[in-house]
Amino acid sequence: MNYLLGAFKPACNVSIAFADGKSRKQVPLKKENGQTVMVPLFQSQENIVGKISVEPFQGKKIEHNGVKVELLGQIEMYFDRGNFYDFTSLVRELDVPGEIYERKTYPFEFSTVEMPYETYNGVNVRLRYVLKVTISRGYGGSIVEYQDFVVRNYASPPSINNSIKMEVGIEDCLHIEFEYNKSKYHLKDVIIGKIYFLLVRIKIKNMDLEIRRRESTGAGANTHVETETLAKFELMDGAPVRGESIPIRLFLSPYELTPTHRNINNKFSVKYYLNLVLVDEEDRRYFKQQEITIYRLQETS
Amino acid sequence: MVLVLALGDLHIPHRAPDLPAKFKSMLVPGKIQHIICTGNLCIKEVHDYLKTICSDLHITRGEYDEETRYPETKTLTIGQFKLGLCHGHQVIPWGDLDSLAMLQRQLDVDILVTGHTHQFTAYKHEGGVVINPGSATGAHSSITLDVNPSFVLMDIDGLRVVVYVYELIDGEVKVDKIDFKKTTTTTS
Amino acid sequence: MIADGGEDEEKWLAAGIAGLQQNAFYMHRALDSNNLRDALKFSAQMLSELRTSKLSPQKYYQLYMRAFDELRKLEMFFKEEARRGCSIIDLYELVQHAGNILPRLYLLCTVGSVYIKSKEAPAKDVLKDLVEMCRGIQNPVRGLFLRSYLSQVSRDKLPDIGSEYEGDADTVNDAVEFVLQNFTEMNKLWVRMQHQVGLNIYGLCYTACESFILLADPELRLAIGLSGLQGPAREKDRREKERSELRDLVISVGKNLHVLSQIEGVDLDMYKETVLPRVLEQVVNCKDDIAQYYLMDCIIQVFPDEYHLQTLEILLDAFPQLQPSVDIKTVLSRLMERLSNYAASSAEVLPEFLQVGAFAKLNNAIGKVIEAQVDMPVFGAVTLYSSLLTFILHVHPERLDYADQVLGACVKKLSTEGKLEDNKATKQIVALLSAPLEKYNDIVTVLKLSNYPRMMEYLDNETNKVMATVIIQSIMKNNTHISTADKVESLFELIKGLIKDLDGTLNDEVDEDDFNEEQNSVARLIQMLHNDDPEEMFKVICTMRKHILTGGPRRLPFTIPPLVFSSLKDVVAWASLARQLQGPDENPFGEESTTPKKIFQHLNQTIETLYGVPAPELALRLYLQCAEAANDCELEPVAYEFFTQAYILYEEEISDSRAQVTAMHLIIGTLQRMHVFGVENRDTLTHKATGYSAKLLKKPDQCRAVYACSHLFWVDDQDNMKDGERGTGLQNEILVLLCLKRALRIANAAQQMSNAARGSTGSVTLFVEILNKYLYFFEKANPQITVATIQSLIELITTEMQSDSSTSDSAADAFFSSTLRYIQFQKQKGGAVGEKYEPIKA
Repeated sequence: MNYLLGAFKPACNVSIAFADGKSRKQVPLKKENGQTVMVPLFQSQENIVGKISVEPFQGKKIEHNGVKVELLGQIEMYFDRGNFYDFTSLVRELDVPGEIYERKTYPFEFSTVEMPYETYNGVNVRLRYVLKVTISRGYGGSIVEYQDFVVRNYASPPSINNSIKMEVGIEDCLHIEFEYNKSKYHLKDVIIGKIYFLLVRIKIKNMDLEIRRRESTGAGANTHVETETLAKFELMDGAPVRGESIPIRLFLSPYELTPTHRNINNKFSVKYYLNLVLVDEEDRRYFKQQEITIYRLQETS
Repeated sequence: MVLVLALGDLHIPHRAPDLPAKFKSMLVPGKIQHIICTGNLCIKEVHDYLKTICSDLHITRGEYDEETRYPETKTLTIGQFKLGLCHGHQVIPWGDLDSLAMLQRQLDVDILVTGHTHQFTAYKHEGGVVINPGSATGAHSSITLDVNPSFVLMDIDGLRVVVYVYELIDGEVKVDKIDFKKTTTTTS
Repeated sequence: MIADGGEDEEKWLAAGIAGLQQNAFYMHRALDSNNLRDALKFSAQMLSELRTSKLSPQKYYQLYMRAFDELRKLEMFFKEEARRGCSIIDLYELVQHAGNILPRLYLLCTVGSVYIKSKEAPAKDVLKDLVEMCRGIQNPVRGLFLRSYLSQVSRDKLPDIGSEYEGDADTVNDAVEFVLQNFTEMNKLWVRMQHQVGLNIYGLCYTACESFILLADPELRLAIGLSGLQGPAREKDRREKERSELRDLVISVGKNLHVLSQIEGVDLDMYKETVLPRVLEQVVNCKDDIAQYYLMDCIIQVFPDEYHLQTLEILLDAFPQLQPSVDIKTVLSRLMERLSNYAASSAEVLPEFLQVGAFAKLNNAIGKVIEAQVDMPVFGAVTLYSSLLTFILHVHPERLDYADQVLGACVKKLSTEGKLEDNKATKQIVALLSAPLEKYNDIVTVLKLSNYPRMMEYLDNETNKVMATVIIQSIMKNNTHISTADKVESLFELIKGLIKDLDGTLNDEVDEDDFNEEQNSVARLIQMLHNDDPEEMFKVICTMRKHILTGGPRRLPFTIPPLVFSSLKDVVAWASLARQLQGPDENPFGEESTTPKKIFQHLNQTIETLYGVPAPELALRLYLQCAEAANDCELEPVAYEFFTQAYILYEEEISDSRAQVTAMHLIIGTLQRMHVFGVENRDTLTHKATGYSAKLLKKPDQCRAVYACSHLFWVDDQDNMKDGERGTGLQNEILVLLCLKRALRIANAAQQMSNAARGSTGSVTLFVEILNKYLYFFEKANPQITVATIQSLIELITTEMQSDSSTSDSAADAFFSSTLRYIQFQKQKGGAVGEKYEPIKA
């Protein structure tokens, strides 16, 4: 394994550069060690083109059994850390076995790569894309270098996007009707809606709208569900009376949302919910949760 | 300079409802240092009204005054002058100057103020003055026909007194002025 | 938990202010370094202090004001940012990211204000958004303050006509719509304060949440026990207090109405079609008595009179729809008061009133309100009628029939109630009845109102008297001339509460001062009833007399004298009339003219009634006055009769020695002036007078009265005498001397008495007085008074003074010296007088 190599002095410098590295958009990516680095951003069907250069250290030579670059799409479950499941794996052989004495550059290209899933960093699961360069050696282990990149896939606005409208309540106590203007929102979208109080017989103290993310991993008995409240947005202060209509306007942009992921490779799902919470004066909570779909809208700029 | 208001024979409400409005508007508080009133106010309300104009109020008794504590005569000294006050119904014949002069000698005053006749008069007499301010309301009188409301304001300054008489004639206030200088101070 | 301790509240306020200031400090620092993100963060934290529920509105206001000031600075910053090119639209979004709604909305309003100013979006859109978003605050206090803030920052940015924010056509509608909506919402919140409990429990915000009940889908039914929605009575009072606190603060709901009234574009049409109906709808529908009262009043106060007049029907229609507990009468009264003042402001507006038929509408509305509010106290109804009457007096002063109609309606209402005991109601009736007096300045006009006296009937005796006094004061103030007998008759009927005891009850409890004051006012009134025509005046007097004589012994001493003097004035008028007709020399009263005699006859009877009081001293004075008047009319027997009456009174009724002295002065003084008497009558009267004089209790009084009598025998102007009817000159000269001698004798006797009772002085004064009398007649050239007699009197006095040195009397000394000085003075005069005085040695 490559970390064992750390004990030795690396024999060479391997660097991976993208052809459009200067112009391509960079986005932050949180690494395992907690550091955030800027990495290039791709989307599915793009050509991933670049150069890999291997530069042995002064006066050293590298004997190898071949050089290759792989493009991997991996899912890592945290309960099974280090064990990656590759859902995409493309490889390009760059060199036949031989020796490298001086800096050597290998162009590579993956054309119209199918990358159906977005990079995702969740609570229990991670989905990542990486370029992996391997200089195979017979002894002392191979030299491996990684380059992460991020994939985001854009969607066009859905053709059907119904509003969410519902009348709920507790009989003779509280009847409300709420309405969110859409069921599908893009990441910078605004949730517009209103809550209409049909009957109020409890003394409500306040009302919040929460955005909750539900990440489920595994399957069957091994399913893990993790729910996070990403936003707690106060909609109303005080007790309304019947007939009041409270507006909702929630900008999604300040929150770190991802698109909804449904059953990614049978490994995990990420779903979003709007949770409407009413708190009464005795701090009893009344809530109603509705799933919404989040998608990434192609930015026009 | 001292201002002394002299008036009398108001006969409110027996013969007049009130002081003429024009007089009332002239008689404002704070301007006058002394009021001398010969009598016949006749009721307490009038007394109280006069008090509002000036708290230093001297009154002798007229025959219609309900207040029995007013004296028959009164003397007071203001500046260099000694003033005598009497309603005048006690001096017979009524309004007779020579008889009033006797009262002036009796009271030994420089200025004698009396009323009863409802007729304004001011005489220099011997060393002094005898003044009748008339009726401030122009009250009906059997002695004087067609009474005009009148009162007197005396401006006492050193040895000099200027007597202003205000008379309401056909709704207009007419002012007259009589100057009087005292030559010697009274012996008393 | 409950913030009933003021001390705790102070503490909470202090903590709130401290928190606010701290965050404001950080906000300022961020502003100074242009750090927008931090500025927003700290401003939101600062505004979070306003989320408290622990403060009463008044304390909350203090906190709010501080936040308000800080927000002004933030607004300046936003303006700067916008000027520097920061997108105001982005800013508008950015502030909406705040998680807590209250800070979020305050910030939104603040940015919104800048947004409008930037004109990057039409003002109407921003305003609409703001007023809509503010719905998120449903807590009454916080909501009211927030919306008040909105109202404040938007005031100068309404897309009014002529405003720089005016957009396309009709944007004034948007301005109005905005204000109306904010008004409606504020009112709802304000009304809600009354009906929600437990403001103070909000203090427990965000403690541990137990999420044990799911908000059910329709099919899921969970019963939750409902706790009482209404607090106890104490709570209610507290809430009412809090509400009124809010009303008095700047936060008041009515501010919005004021803003509406300031919108240029709200013309009559818009007011009539949109504003008023919408406002009234809210007022009626809120079904809250406090709000209804307050808002109706606001409407009336803030919008122009002209609008009220033109929309009278719409406005009035709202009244019967208000809650029964609303104090409609006050509000409606204020409306009428305003309209009255409007009418009074300019004659030009009066046709408008006629055009819209204001009176009929108001009259109708009042009728409906009284009918609808069965429980309205009489006081309320009277108040309404009173206001309506005031209205008529201003708008239709010529329509006495309207006024009478209102009085009639009021009488009708009162007739179902019987005599009023309600203090407030009687006060209102007094106001009602006073109004026409004040308006017309003329009781004569008022006397034409047939329902006026009927209204007086409904007053209790006390109030009836008060009203009568008011009527008299009105007459006095306006110098009203009431000059005919029939008017006097109606007037006395009206004020009969003062003239006699009503219901035959004796009001012994009446405060004496009050009674005196009342009766004095009646006396004044009598002075006002006057007619220059003696004939008519006689009728007036007869009418007055008829009423006055019913007054009873307590009133007569007050009312008889003015009546007597009025009559005497009339006699004088007759006399001058007669002189004009017949020339000065003839007897003015021939056989054909009996009126003065009749008057005197009445006078005699009138004065006689004072016997029963008893008031002999007063009666005596009045008799003497009458005698003098009869003298002027040359009616000897009448004059004699009056004198006789006076003498009888003197002899039989006047016993007090001081009163006797005064009475003698008056008798002698009057008699001295009489010229009508023939010798016989005169002698009789003079002798009696001298006799009475000599019988006075005290010697000095005797002495003085006697020497005064000397004048009865001496008349300067012989022309004034009836020829041959007086004694001859010689006789009189002797009688004068006799009087003086008699006075001297009495003075001597007094001197001896005072010598006997040592220490008492004063007799010397008598001598000096007599000396003066001698000088008087000496000067008048009575030959009986000689230099010798004067000389001996001077010597007598000098001796007396020297012998009496132990008890020197400085007053007498002064008197004597001034007398001597007078003699000296006369000598120096020279001429005839000087010559006459020359022989006297002083």
